[in-house]
Amino acid sequence: MKEAIRVKELTYSYPDGTPALEDIDITINEGEKIVIVGPNGAGKTTLFLHLNGTLKSQDNTVMIFGKNLGDMKVEERIKEVGIVFQDPDDQLFMPTIFDDVAFGPINMGLDEEEVKNRVKKALSRVGLEGFEDRVPHNLSYGQKKRAALAAVLSMEPRILILDEPTANLDPKSRADLIQVINDLNKDGITTVIAMHDVNALPLLSDRVYVLNRKIVGEGNPREIFSNSELLKMTHLEAPDVFKMFKVLTCFGYDCDTLPMSIDEAVEFLTRTIESGSGHIHLHLHEHTHEEVRKFLHSYNHH
Amino acid sequence: MDYPEIDKYASIDSPIHNFDPRAKIITFMVMIFSFVFLDTITKALVGLGIASLIYIIAKLPKAFVIHRLKVVFLFLFPLLIIMPLSVDGQAIAQYHSITITLEGFQYSFLVIIRALSAVTLALIMLGTTRFDITIKALYMLKVPGTLIQMLMFTYRYIFVIIDEFQRMWKAMESKGFKLKANRYGLSVLGNMIGMLIIKSYDRAQRVYHSMISKGYTGNPRTIVNFELRTKDYAIALSMILIALLMHTYHLVL
Ligand SMILES: Nc1ncnc2c1ncn2[C@@H]1O[C@H](COP(=O)(O)OP(=O)(O)OP(=O)(O)O)[C@@H](O)[C@H]1O
Ligand SMILES: [Mg+2]
Repeated sequence: MKEAIRVKELTYSYPDGTPALEDIDITINEGEKIVIVGPNGAGKTTLFLHLNGTLKSQDNTVMIFGKNLGDMKVEERIKEVGIVFQDPDDQLFMPTIFDDVAFGPINMGLDEEEVKNRVKKALSRVGLEGFEDRVPHNLSYGQKKRAALAAVLSMEPRILILDEPTANLDPKSRADLIQVINDLNKDGITTVIAMHDVNALPLLSDRVYVLNRKIVGEGNPREIFSNSELLKMTHLEAPDVFKMFKVLTCFGYDCDTLPMSIDEAVEFLTRTIESGSGHIHLHLHEHTHEEVRKFLHSYNHH
Repeated sequence: MDYPEIDKYASIDSPIHNFDPRAKIITFMVMIFSFVFLDTITKALVGLGIASLIYIIAKLPKAFVIHRLKVVFLFLFPLLIIMPLSVDGQAIAQYHSITITLEGFQYSFLVIIRALSAVTLALIMLGTTRFDITIKALYMLKVPGTLIQMLMFTYRYIFVIIDEFQRMWKAMESKGFKLKANRYGLSVLGNMIGMLIIKSYDRAQRVYHSMISKGYTGNPRTIVNFELRTKDYAIALSMILIALLMHTYHLVL
């Protein structure tokens, strides 16, 4: 398997002296689905700015597909790494949606036909067909967010980085966006996402990095969410389904792995019921409430 | 939200709206220059008449131009007072050492009429084209890139900044703030504008980051498809001809 991103001993302070990153080591393979979590101000955005060379780092601290990022030409760099930032108003800076989505491809030196093709393809990918002539300030927030994604997809990057893609979206837009991202990942694009939305996290990650200026944890979502110490330290929460099933185990529900999403929960439940006697058995015993209280306490921030 | 949009009526269907944007800019510029240099009140009035006629052809609502012309007139109004007092010539009234001259009146009328027709033309030009297309037309006409970028960003972010201002304003009003023309009111307003500038600066930095990450290297490039048709040549030619005739008809007739 090829290494898509390798960050080695990356340390960064902003010019005003704010330390933002300390000794970051990350290795992401091609095609992986990665989520980076961490509290506000943990340095997620700062890390992303290093991954496409917007913020400069020392030689060989950031390698993209085995190449030192600093040595890559602009056109090459934007073909490898595309970043979708938090605020769509920052990314739609041209007069019309067409101009915005065409901006990257034109800078890559593609000819006119190809640019138009790519704009069309990118817009249909995010469900904004026919929006070419619209001006950004007349779009809804969700539409702007999708347009911002299209403006990066049109460069057809092999690595797609998204900073809080699901924040402030209504449930339908959020589900749509998660679908789009997963489809892209299935097409072989490596996705790296920063987010606070823990309920969506399991859908968007094979592996999670926990960042709090340093990398303080790494593992699959189940490992991360089982570590209540880590969650508490980094102001994180476990998905609701996960917590619910953990409570169920206190009531005597017997399962070795806890589900991370509703779909998984249905699957697990069905499996336990079918392998048992056609139903599941819950009961109260002496310590049940004590256990529930203790568990909830360990996941509580207050 | 109510924005002061110059291109609010750009989607109306009229010959002027359908005029090729590049040809439109050039033609209207020629006409504006021509009308600004007209040397008699009669000619200037004819110019204003022509401008009004084009305005009618363009089917723009009356309020659109009148509202803006009022502002221009307000700026120019002092001329009507200053010039009769300061330009030398035939006196029509005298009070001690203060003389009011006919030439002064005529001259100030001339200036105001010229300005009104020039502004009307400029408003028709901008009002009948979507602003992003005007920018692209300028880009095609090889206007320097820096200027294009300034126009582009102004157009894109003026609305974002207006929104930001209104959000801040609402936040303050909801905390009981009322603007009064006293020291406190002004200092709060000053703070607000300061905040707005800082926010804009932060935003500029983030926009710049996102431009860099899309391969920006200093000049924005875009794809534009304009096509000049026979009718565009016809309109352009006749308008430019009118503009020239206003200055040279005495040679022809
Ligand atoms: N331009 C800047 N100048 C100085 N300090 C900055 C700048 N941008 C960010 N910081 C600081 O760097 C640290 C990391 O910020 P960063 O934006 O990377 O966090 P984040 O993980 O993206 O947070 P959030 O979840 O709120 O988006 C913070 O302490 C922040 O205040
Ligand atoms: Mg951030």
